Amino acid sequence: MNRTLAWVGLLARLVTGGVWIVAGALKITEPDASIAAVRAYQLLPSSLAEAVGLALPAVEVVIGLALVLGVLARGAAVLSAVLFLAFVIGIASVWARGIEIDCGCFGGGGADPGASSAYPWEIARDVALLAASVLVAALRRTPLALDSLLFVRRPVPAAGAPEGAEN
Amino acid sequence: MSSNNSKASARAQKVADERAAQARRETRRRILTIVGVVAAMALIVGGAITVSLLNKKDVKAAPAGSSEYGVTIGDADAPHTVIIYEDFLCPYCGALEAETRDDLERLAADGKVLVEYRPFDLLSPSFGDYPIRAASAFALLLEESGPEVAKKFHDLLFENQPSEQDPDSVSDDDLVAFAVEAGAEEAVVREGIEGVSHRDWVEAATAEAKDADVQGTPTVILDGEVFEDGRTVQDVADNLVKALD
Repeated sequence: MNRTLAWVGLLARLVTGGVWIVAGALKITEPDASIAAVRAYQLLPSSLAEAVGLALPAVEVVIGLALVLGVLARGAAVLSAVLFLAFVIGIASVWARGIEIDCGCFGGGGADPGASSAYPWEIARDVALLAASVLVAALRRTPLALDSLLFVRRPVPAAGAPEGAEN
Repeated sequence: MSSNNSKASARAQKVADERAAQARRETRRRILTIVGVVAAMALIVGGAITVSLLNKKDVKAAPAGSSEYGVTIGDADAPHTVIIYEDFLCPYCGALEAETRDDLERLAADGKVLVEYRPFDLLSPSFGDYPIRAASAFALLLEESGPEVAKKFHDLLFENQPSEQDPDSVSDDDLVAFAVEAGAEEAVVREGIEGVSHRDWVEAATAEAKDADVQGTPTVILDGEVFEDGRTVQDVADNLVKALD
């Protein structure tokens, strides 16, 4: 694997994971704001909005931990990419409908007049993080990941190796 | 020769078996590791959701008709009660008003619901003192001119709601004009409206809403439970009217 690319992958993994941990942790203790933020997108029916508002911060923290520690990093990166794609669609959708809300990305949320001026930058940020997630998923392994300890490839004796050469 | 051959093939077989067994052990270990990690993740997700649920606040509103800081329409012993916490500047409150007012008035007149409107000041920290001026004028009318005039004034405030960007487009003179249109006497209310006579009332109403853990506006409470059934304000309004009819 290209060494530089591997370290860029590590950086992408740590930055994306760090963003998830912060974003999730800020919301876990503010469930009412989190639910209100999801409702403000006016995309999901009421009961589903409540479930998403409660569960999303928890999922964000776990994806962040998995990325930072490098545990099942590839799967976490794929989930991360899917979520960022969903957020980009969500923000684009409120923008298109002329709804002005705080994206609720890092807590807060709800109606916020004048918020639409922030939409392009929020979308750009999420696209960048989406790209970083895709890179991590594409690289399979990045340096300094716990996965390297958990899933060591033990040498399997080669076919037809003479006895005694196994160890 | 043939025995040599069979010895060699037995040995090869043994090596192959060992390799297969080791590959199985390896796969098993991998699967167990993945299961363990996923289980740990599920535990963290569960723990975090539990923390969220413990931090979730239920609105504990005083029963409809029992607050000092509201105006009611309808029968006190109607089968349903609705409480609406609102800020005179909040655009969604204006939208909810426009969608529900006629239906709620009809249902209240038919004895099907007791509705209490509880205005308070949510938005002055962000958008200036219009919410305080408007709610103070509402309280003044409630005291000086009675609940019917105050309700009419409340309706006029929402019909002529300023935008959050320009809340001062509704001046004190405009508030006086709405009050007169609602049925108040200008001589009685002008001084109070211009001097924001009921600022204390607004602060107390706001404190009561905060104590009840009202998180935002509009907060609609149907028969004691927060009512949020719907994707948009319009959905919520339609479903509320449906639930009462």
